Amino acid sequence: MGRALPWLAALAFAACTDKIAAPGDCPAFCPSGTLSVVDTVLPMAVYNDSAFGRPIGYVNPFNSLTLLAEALPGLRDSRPIFRTTKLLLRLPLSTDTTTSPVIGIDSIYLRLAILRRDTAAHHLAISLYKMPLSIDSNTTFAQLVGPFTDSLIRSVNVDSLIALPGRRNATGDSVLVDSLNQRIILLMRLDSADLPIDTPDSGAVALGIRVAADTLASIAIGSSENVGTGPLLSWYLRVDSLGRATAHRLQTRSPAFDGFVYDPPAPALDGNLTVGGVPSARSILRVVFPRIISDSSRLIRATLELVPAVAPQGIKADSFGIAAHATVTDFGAKSPIDLNHVDTTGVQIGMTDTVKVEVTRLMRFWIGDSLAPNTMVLRQTGEGGNFAEIRFYSSRDPAHRPLLRLTYSNPFPFGKP
Amino acid sequence: MTRRVRIGLTLAVLGVLAGVTPGVAYAQESQFGITGLGTPGRTESVRARSTGGAFAQFDSLSFLTEASLVNIGSLTATASINTSNRDLEYPAFNTWLRTTRFPSFTLAGPVAGVFLGGGFSNYLDRTYSVVTRDSMILRGTMQPYYDQITSDGGVSDVHLGAGFRLGRALSIGFGVHLLPGSTKESATRLFDDSATYSAVHQIAQVRYEGYGLQASALLNLGRALSISVYGRDDSHLNQYVGDTLTNTTELPKTVGAALMWRPSGKFRLAGSATLSTWSEAFSTASNTVNWSAGLEIGRTSPVRLGVRGGQLPFGPNGTTPTEWGASLGTGRQFAHGHGALDLGVERLERTGEGLTEQVWSVFFGLSVRP
Repeated sequence: MGRALPWLAALAFAACTDKIAAPGDCPAFCPSGTLSVVDTVLPMAVYNDSAFGRPIGYVNPFNSLTLLAEALPGLRDSRPIFRTTKLLLRLPLSTDTTTSPVIGIDSIYLRLAILRRDTAAHHLAISLYKMPLSIDSNTTFAQLVGPFTDSLIRSVNVDSLIALPGRRNATGDSVLVDSLNQRIILLMRLDSADLPIDTPDSGAVALGIRVAADTLASIAIGSSENVGTGPLLSWYLRVDSLGRATAHRLQTRSPAFDGFVYDPPAPALDGNLTVGGVPSARSILRVVFPRIISDSSRLIRATLELVPAVAPQGIKADSFGIAAHATVTDFGAKSPIDLNHVDTTGVQIGMTDTVKVEVTRLMRFWIGDSLAPNTMVLRQTGEGGNFAEIRFYSSRDPAHRPLLRLTYSNPFPFGKP
Repeated sequence: MTRRVRIGLTLAVLGVLAGVTPGVAYAQESQFGITGLGTPGRTESVRARSTGGAFAQFDSLSFLTEASLVNIGSLTATASINTSNRDLEYPAFNTWLRTTRFPSFTLAGPVAGVFLGGGFSNYLDRTYSVVTRDSMILRGTMQPYYDQITSDGGVSDVHLGAGFRLGRALSIGFGVHLLPGSTKESATRLFDDSATYSAVHQIAQVRYEGYGLQASALLNLGRALSISVYGRDDSHLNQYVGDTLTNTTELPKTVGAALMWRPSGKFRLAGSATLSTWSEAFSTASNTVNWSAGLEIGRTSPVRLGVRGGQLPFGPNGTTPTEWGASLGTGRQFAHGHGALDLGVERLERTGEGLTEQVWSVFFGLSVRP
């Protein structure tokens, strides 16, 4: 028996794996209690809702991640503008502190990163204009009508460049198609005739961009706020080398300011809940929900239903996403959004159907954190990079107010046979 | 057996006890108990179980009756483990289940002329996990889902009792049963469209409280024949979720009688019958009558045989399932009788409306007399 004991013990432990789950043959062999699920609409769940963001938006042309260039007759005309910093007109030739003057320009390259274009647009052309150095965030479309009419520097047909062998034309313009990141890098070759070094301005330049195409001329160019994609001027300069062979030096300049001007101006906010556009608007909604779902394990689905008051305008490529964020705290228009608790949905241009935002994650966060304000911020994904906006009826419109549709389970009757 | 070995074995048994709180003591589960309070347990040592339960009323280590404690001899501790495999045969499908449990522990011995005992066993087992498939219309679309209702735990029977000799032939005993317990219960719904509809998972810890009183008597008619009777009155079972009383259920009264015949020191034959008034507990429950018969041949390495039959209190639609079983076992004393190992195998078949359960169980018990 003594020898058998270890084997018996091993057998006992080896058998210590339970399998207790079995299909149920209901109702005869199932517990009497069942999970009951309720699907209900809470018409009064949203209250104290407002839109903010005009005339100063949450994202404005001067701090947008993209510079919008559009030429959509009858709809919009938008033109990026930017101004670079001054050049150094004396440069060192070696490691010592002696500098020599810049005596000429070999060439100038302007790099533009096209981050978005409508693939249905053909013969996409980009034209470069010289702008006054006084441009800034207060500059309007009307103020630049003149320069955009009579100060053309160069035009490049991007589609023609792409079609060329080596994607380079005779004047030195080239494109690089980055299919991995879905962007086009355009290099426009300029010379001293295009951008002479103006001594009083020490090489600071202001440029404007217009776009044209057969149809659907709408692109987004990376801005200086979008790291690594902003406009970049590369100056290849000749420097006096004290009678010996001419030295060549490179100076690059990013915009000190970039933005875009557009027409028509953004419409003012009204009593509706506006989301998106330029300047970008956000809508803030306060939500109240019944205590019955205060246990997060019972919430199955939560959907915020919003009825458009004004359908979004634009071209198909302007379709955008709406993100519903929780807020860190409720400071009204200045409520900091919670980037970790967000639900999203898509909005198509021209749609008039009810927009449904699945906010289950958001609601579960609120349920789990009783100190978190039940305040939701609706904003456009890629804020400031899309002129399209949508306006929803607010809670002040009883017939079309936002609704919260909840699917949840009632408490299971534990403790009852 | 050296003193060191005896102490080690005692600690081993007590270690098993320490790891097995009353709330997790189980016997065999049955799907028939799902719709009721659970599956009633059995207060039987491995030895008694191997004889179909027929020896339980005379077996002091089973501690089914307090009067049987007078046969304990010296301080003794015993614990057991069992593994069960169940085949479930429904009309539409078959499946199988497996569980491993520590069904009982007993510590008993004489103290100042009185025989005291304590231990726990399973009173009601409520361990099950039922998975069902269904669908419902949500927002205009049919949504299929799986439901899983799970309960893990049960009600234990913590038994404290004392036996007294009233002369050479008659012994009596009295005991108190405390019925604590808990079940960890969960209800889960998983939608096929899990991207849209989140899973529901509700959990609760259900706590049970109850008590019972028992009296028993053991009469020896000469050296060969013994008769045991007992009666037990359990009060009611309160169920709590948190501190909220969710349900109160009356518990049954139980009476039992058994007869043992010992024509020689190496042969024992016994039979028993028990009646429990479960219909008091539940409107759809039935009173049960259970019987058993068993024999034991041999002394140091005996062979045990037994059969049992009877009824289960809970069945579908108020019906009364029946069960019968046969068991086989053996045991071995070692260390000059200070330790004993018992091994048993049982085959049970439970039959009711819409279900047949075939159960194979293996029992392993360890007893120590330090």
